[in-house]
Amino acid sequence: MKVVFRSKFYTLYQSDKEKCHYLDMDQKTIKLSFCQFLALRTKVRNIAIEDHFDSDLNKHGFEILMLCNKEHLFILNTLELLDLKSLVECSFMTIDIDQIASRTI
Amino acid sequence: MKDIARLNMSIKVTSLDALNDQIQMEGKASSSYLAMASWCDQNSYSGSAALFYRQASEEREHMMKIFKFINDCGGNAISPEISNINHDFSSLEEIFETALEQEIAVTKSINKIISLAKKTEDYAVENFLQWFVKEQLEEEKSMRDILDLFEVMGREGIAIKLIDERIK
Repeated sequence: MKVVFRSKFYTLYQSDKEKCHYLDMDQKTIKLSFCQFLALRTKVRNIAIEDHFDSDLNKHGFEILMLCNKEHLFILNTLELLDLKSLVECSFMTIDIDQIASRTI
Repeated sequence: MKDIARLNMSIKVTSLDALNDQIQMEGKASSSYLAMASWCDQNSYSGSAALFYRQASEEREHMMKIFKFINDCGGNAISPEISNINHDFSSLEEIFETALEQEIAVTKSINKIISLAKKTEDYAVENFLQWFVKEQLEEEKSMRDILDLFEVMGREGIAIKLIDERIK
């Protein structure tokens, strides 16, 4: 498996053989089909991180994230969420750059 | 690394995002037309109400067409959340002006996606959207034709009622 992107807390791997991704969430590693990876990106993008800085909107500063049709459940704090957001966006960017580079070379 | 995105999906991720935004836009347009139909019904403009009910249904069909296309291509279509629909209008003419502005915004958005698809060599998306280009021309024309009626027949008294009766 190849590392796509590594953030402070998490790592995304790609398995060319299985045509899928693996996300190491520290507590556990989850297998993501491409569609599930897209769904994760949508979920992460839709999290209103600004609410974490307003105690009326998010009292506890936590977010519950359910992945792969509720197969996995994570409770993330603000720092972990920011890190996950960065991992997801940077992973897509890395994949894009890799494809552009492979076409160019 | 293998291009897993391409192995799973016939369209580019950038196009997928743009098409999901378009789903949101078409969904909002559909709800907006429903609000206009409701206003027309409440104000006894039955011809216009019938037109807007039909328009609402057409916009939903457009949304469904894009929705199905994304999923058929192996992508991840996202059901839109619609909020902040305006229900307040001051006249029938204002409603048709708003409808035209809405159609122009949809046309611009479609053109933008086509431009993006061309740039990224996503020809399947470009080809798919050609139908929408033609459709938008018709939609804009029908709204402009109705707005022309206000210029020709006027905006006072019985004229508005006569305009409504001409709208099918």
